[in-house]
Amino acid sequence: MHRYLILLLLLSLPSHGDVTKNLRWSLDASARVNNNIAINNTSRIYAFGLDTHKVFTSPYGDIGYAVAQLYFTKLSNQTPYPWLFDYANDSQFVIREAHLNYTTSSNWLPNIRLGHFTFPFGLEESIDTNGRLLDYHHGKNLGTKLDWGLGLNKVLKSMEYSMSYTLGGKDDPKSINNSYALSGRIGSLSHLDFIIGFSFFDAKIDNIQRKKLAIDLQYYWATWGIMAEVSLGKDNKVQQQWRNEKYSLIELNKTSINEQLKLYGQYILTDREGENSTQQLINIGLSYQINGQLELSISSRKQFNQPKSANKQNLLRFQLRYRY
Amino acid sequence: MKTLTIILLLSLLGQNVYAVAFCSLRDPVAQIEQLYPNKTNQLSIVKTVDANTRNQVKLALPSNDLHFSELGEHTLYVAMKNSEPLGYVHVRSEQSQWGLVEIVWALDKNLKIKDFSFQRCRSPKKKIINDEMFKKVFIGKSYEELKTLLSNDGVTANDLLLDKAKNAPELASVVLRCALKTLLITKILWGEELEKFNRY
Repeated sequence: MHRYLILLLLLSLPSHGDVTKNLRWSLDASARVNNNIAINNTSRIYAFGLDTHKVFTSPYGDIGYAVAQLYFTKLSNQTPYPWLFDYANDSQFVIREAHLNYTTSSNWLPNIRLGHFTFPFGLEESIDTNGRLLDYHHGKNLGTKLDWGLGLNKVLKSMEYSMSYTLGGKDDPKSINNSYALSGRIGSLSHLDFIIGFSFFDAKIDNIQRKKLAIDLQYYWATWGIMAEVSLGKDNKVQQQWRNEKYSLIELNKTSINEQLKLYGQYILTDREGENSTQQLINIGLSYQINGQLELSISSRKQFNQPKSANKQNLLRFQLRYRY
Repeated sequence: MKTLTIILLLSLLGQNVYAVAFCSLRDPVAQIEQLYPNKTNQLSIVKTVDANTRNQVKLALPSNDLHFSELGEHTLYVAMKNSEPLGYVHVRSEQSQWGLVEIVWALDKNLKIKDFSFQRCRSPKKKIINDEMFKKVFIGKSYEELKTLLSNDGVTANDLLLDKAKNAPELASVVLRCALKTLLITKILWGEELEKFNRY
């Protein structure tokens, strides 16, 4: 309930001035078909939502901005289903990003972010994946992708940083069983051709503790891009015992010169202490921007090594997304 | 199937372009600071580049069009020193053989080029931006003055600019087209609102 009240507050903020001044809004609808070949299951996910962005100003300049995204999401035969849902055909209102970022005019004082936002960690910090098939696996690696809390961020002359302390309640703006998450990334400027970033993460979410350090790299040449994220850490997911984990992702991508078509391939290697073999995954995908509103995406995920007691992941996904 | 059909039908309705989720928007803070080192803040003014704007660009600059990412809502920044406006900053993209080139333009209050820098340029010739002779061709020029640098085909630069561009003729034409569209769109969409800043 709290989260909807906070979202309502964010959505109502623009009404304290000229409603449409510096306001962006868009209706966002998507239909996703997932063919999970490993368990012989086909499922669908439908999402319809409102994406808004509002800049607040004074006669002296910008004061800050708000982002609010509310989506109605319907599952159809989704197995396994995400933690936000109660069963395979459930539907829920889902708050994605919902935050205020107070942008101070000082050259060195940080901006202050408050609300529900993505953890500042790794590649996801500079590449948004909300609502896309492209993924840098925040949810799986960190316990959740977004959380409610407070953050500090700033873009300086030659570097940028973002740190956050959040409550660990995931979609609930509260701490549950002493949950918390401390996350941060410091890196070179994210518009350059070569980007390097260092991240940390220390959290207790769903009674699982995780500690991680990561380095991420991006390099772009003409229409090619190569990026990587390597993290070392530990968690106590299994029987409350600490176990070490190494995670690495490398991606090669290529865009057409008009940026309508993007192709990417990812190789992901996860090595967890106590497991007999490392997990090796390949993701390949493409997105095609048919026009300014309509985007078609296809991705395929395949696991290469044989896990001890489960099917190898083998997933084919298709998504059509329309933004008006 | 029904949902897919609805989405396809919806796509035929509108001309608005919001292909990117708004949480991915980033202000060019570092570039504004580089172009206006004395600024204390920036003031955002958001306007919509729509089909009408696109047609005006096509009319004024025949053989030119706007990339689909250039439609939709865009921000013009007023660089502020306390309550005093120093000038304007606007970012526009232009397609090139190396993908989109994004240029951050600093304009003075008379809508003439004050300075510029690449936000994103993946051409091996991008160091042309550091060449003072090349930059000088643009600085202090209005839309009308820069338009005289276009050759008869309406898309490539003429010899007056290419002489200064040395071995980067295509990139020089990209920069020129981007400058012309920036000045034109700024005047069409923001011109009236910016008049109040001329009082300072």
